[in-house]
Amino acid sequence: MLAVILEKSGRIKPTHLMYKANLSHNQMKLYLSELIKNGLVENFDNSGKRMIRITKKGVDFYSKYGQMREFEKTFGI
Amino acid sequence: MFHKPFKLKIALYKMKIVFTPDWFLGKDVLIDAFSFLILLTLFIFAYKSYKLSKNKNSLYLGIGFLLIAFGELSTILTKLVLYYDTTFTQTVGQMIVTYHIVRSTDILFNIGFFLHKLFTLLGLYALYRVAAKERPSKEILLGLYFLLALSIFGSMFYYVFHLTTLIILILIICAYYNIYKKNKLLNTKILIIAFVLLALSHSTFLFSRLPSLYVVGQIIQLISYVIFLSLIIVIWKNGKKKKQNKHNI
Repeated sequence: MLAVILEKSGRIKPTHLMYKANLSHNQMKLYLSELIKNGLVENFDNSGKRMIRITKKGVDFYSKYGQMREFEKTFGI
Repeated sequence: MFHKPFKLKIALYKMKIVFTPDWFLGKDVLIDAFSFLILLTLFIFAYKSYKLSKNKNSLYLGIGFLLIAFGELSTILTKLVLYYDTTFTQTVGQMIVTYHIVRSTDILFNIGFFLHKLFTLLGLYALYRVAAKERPSKEILLGLYFLLALSIFGSMFYYVFHLTTLIILILIICAYYNIYKKNKLLNTKILIIAFVLLALSHSTFLFSRLPSLYVVGQIIQLISYVIFLSLIIVIWKNGKKKKQNKHNI
């Protein structure tokens, strides 16, 4: 989900996120609430439309996650 | 009058245990310290990876690197005492006191180098098991027993340790080559090169009775850890690159 939001310059409509991340409505609600709870993404209002954007903490987390995945792939684990 | 035999004994230990030529004293400790820092960084990476993914193999890999780092630390501390503590005895005039100091340093050297061997072998064994994707089994106990025995006998025959390390490193290289055949990643290739150089350094240490070969071995070890450092930088930068390319928050 974070990767999808980052691909869209850090902000995305909830419905687009659902389709791009290939999630059901219930799955998205569940994962999104978890991400918001951890401060990785946040809701904001864009001319009356609800949008989702990634926070600085979310970008840092994604960066660290990328490093760790790279580390695991290097060592084949 | 009583100082001379003591000095001779220390000189004998330098030759038997470390084989370092006089001009290289201290420089090898710096190389060991550098290796220790790199190993510690690899442990931190592996531990963070475990915290994030809860993949136990990351944890075992981290423990492997940490054990080798402890091995390096043991050798650094022992060498520091061995290289820099000899002048202390020159102020002691009593033979009996000097004798006791020799005995205590004897024990320290033996324990220090024993721990170096044990931690290094255990760490490499852990790395091998993770790389070869060996499942936990009772065979681990047998492996641990042999490594303990080898660490003890390594004090009597210095080449036993280097030979065992070389064999485990060859097994690790083979395991990572199999991984490389599947993932074709540049990072894994760099990792293999680093392990090959580490194996080469231990094969050089097999002949380290010649002081020049001990130095060559240390330099190869340094190059190996520089390559490990470059691997860490590549992994770290790749994560950063993703951050900059895709987003500008």
